[in-house]
Amino acid sequence: MNYEIVEIFAVVLFFVSLFGLITSKGVIKGIVSIIIMEISVVMFFLSLGFRSGILPPIGGDVGQNAADPLPQALMITAIIIGVAVTAVNMTMLIALSRQFKTTEWDLLKKMKMDE
Amino acid sequence: MLPYFVIVSIIIGVFLYVFSTAKAARAVAVVAQAVLTGFAGYLFFLAKDGDIVTHIGDYEGFLGMTLIADTTSSVFVALTAFLFMIAAIYCFNDDFSKLFWFLMFVWQGLIIGIFLTRDLFNIFVLMEVATVVISILIMYKRDNRSMYDGMFYLMTGIIAMQFYLFGVGYVYKVTGVLDIDAAAAIFAELPKSSQILPFALMMTGIALKCAILPLFSWLPKAHGTPSAPPAVSALLSGIYIKCGVYMLMRIQPMFAAIDASAFFLVFGIITGIAGFILAMSQSDIKLILAYHTVSQVGLIVTGLSIGYNYSYIGGLYHAINHALFKSTLFLSAGVIIKAYGTRSVYDIHGVFRRFPLVGVATILAILGITGAPLMNGSISKYFIMFGTTWYISALLILMNLGTIISFIKYSSVLFGHPEGEVSGEPGEGVSVGKQAAILILGTLCFLGGIFGREFIYFLFNVRLNVDPAGYLEKSAIFIASLFGGYLIFRYYVKKSVLLKRIREIDLGFRETCISLGGFFGVALLVASFL
Repeated sequence: MNYEIVEIFAVVLFFVSLFGLITSKGVIKGIVSIIIMEISVVMFFLSLGFRSGILPPIGGDVGQNAADPLPQALMITAIIIGVAVTAVNMTMLIALSRQFKTTEWDLLKKMKMDE
Repeated sequence: MLPYFVIVSIIIGVFLYVFSTAKAARAVAVVAQAVLTGFAGYLFFLAKDGDIVTHIGDYEGFLGMTLIADTTSSVFVALTAFLFMIAAIYCFNDDFSKLFWFLMFVWQGLIIGIFLTRDLFNIFVLMEVATVVISILIMYKRDNRSMYDGMFYLMTGIIAMQFYLFGVGYVYKVTGVLDIDAAAAIFAELPKSSQILPFALMMTGIALKCAILPLFSWLPKAHGTPSAPPAVSALLSGIYIKCGVYMLMRIQPMFAAIDASAFFLVFGIITGIAGFILAMSQSDIKLILAYHTVSQVGLIVTGLSIGYNYSYIGGLYHAINHALFKSTLFLSAGVIIKAYGTRSVYDIHGVFRRFPLVGVATILAILGITGAPLMNGSISKYFIMFGTTWYISALLILMNLGTIISFIKYSSVLFGHPEGEVSGEPGEGVSVGKQAAILILGTLCFLGGIFGREFIYFLFNVRLNVDPAGYLEKSAIFIASLFGGYLIFRYYVKKSVLLKRIREIDLGFRETCISLGGFFGVALLVASFL
């Protein structure tokens, strides 16, 4: 199987999410797009570890055929940060929607000046 | 020993949050900040004799994560610790909750980490967490405006860091390392085609963090939110924005085949000019300062990209000077806003009469930022302009003229009589801590000018010469621009309808995302042709 397809898919997904951000009317769509963006980056990193005929570097003697474990290690960190960021985003979204009674960027922009 | 600089302040923050009361937290915070500043100063003196290198996990070479304190990064670490100490002194008499102190300590650790680390992924982690911490600090008072600004800042900051992380992925794919120095060494031997995409991706993320022109709209929102604590605004403008500039400085030379200095020179100058035009159109004093940070970042980026050694050191020195005078201005603006209950530049009068010491510090900072002779700004601006071609010099003088005009507007708060009855002695209502913090910073602006050369030697181990004739010429230009600026302010800025229109320019979230995509495209194109 050709593993480059994962990489290409990740790049496409990244720009799809950018498109989602550009066309997002509301905050919710923005947050979802950011999550997709994070996933696309994770997918890209994971594609770096792939090569034909390699083995996972767990147990046994895999020798020269071991896969590079670093991207996975990095992505565990990135996923954790992504979860935390999404949680903060959601918390703020709830507070925002309670205060403004809307989550649309244009309306928020208009209403922010009322004190 | 370097990791402790990052960890200790975070541990202090956690400790304060869990075990102490809000009242005790303040006292502990000031003491802890003083101690941290002492250690950061000690690190600075140690780093003068040679770089201090720590490999985390004892993996030598480029396998592990490396922290390096060299002359530049140790200066910024010391500056960070110093400014946080000043902020702690400033906040001593306000009743902030434990959460505030916790976030401040965590934030400090993250900033120091960004300055010390040489690992690309570390920078991502630290920046991302700092974005979350700052957005909570911005939203601290939870009114409409700050909710919007915090949300905006959080989302744009995260998107920028995703661009950056994607670029890191490409760097890792091509070079197989995450260390900046190692990647630079490997990139030097690789063809240019392998560097274009990571360059464009990483620079898009970093450009947003530096607030370069089309990507600046988060900065006035984050730095100028009316209800954010003044200390937070001061630290954001003073030191945090320098993290972006520092990343630019470190990561841009990593792509050996792409000489992007001309690219950033152009964007720096455009940012500098657009920043002051937006600054002089504002009437909210905090927003004047925030937009003006955009302009000054443009100047710093310009100085770092011109390419002469003098301009480079001038840019670095200006980054430090900007930290000093912008913090002074934000902290004093906090005092003024609280006392007058308004932020409009036209409704505040007579700060000098009401708070003489705050007024003196503000005047020192204004003189510094406008580059008045003998002040610190004049030295750094002199070095940035040193030996540049005439058209760049002309643009820099134009930038300074804009700075002067926006601060003539700002300084109108200082003079005249305060409206209504002012009860009590001058200076009443401001705590000693606040006045001391503002005065220390203001005095440093002055000392940084008089001993400018010695300061530069002390900080960067470089001896630069000030040519008296050239300096005199620059002083003459300053006085001419001061008069010109006053006339322009008096007869144009006050009445201009165009500036009122400009004030209404406020890029929303979608526009910022479009700019991100656009900047990425431009960076990609420029990188392929350079």
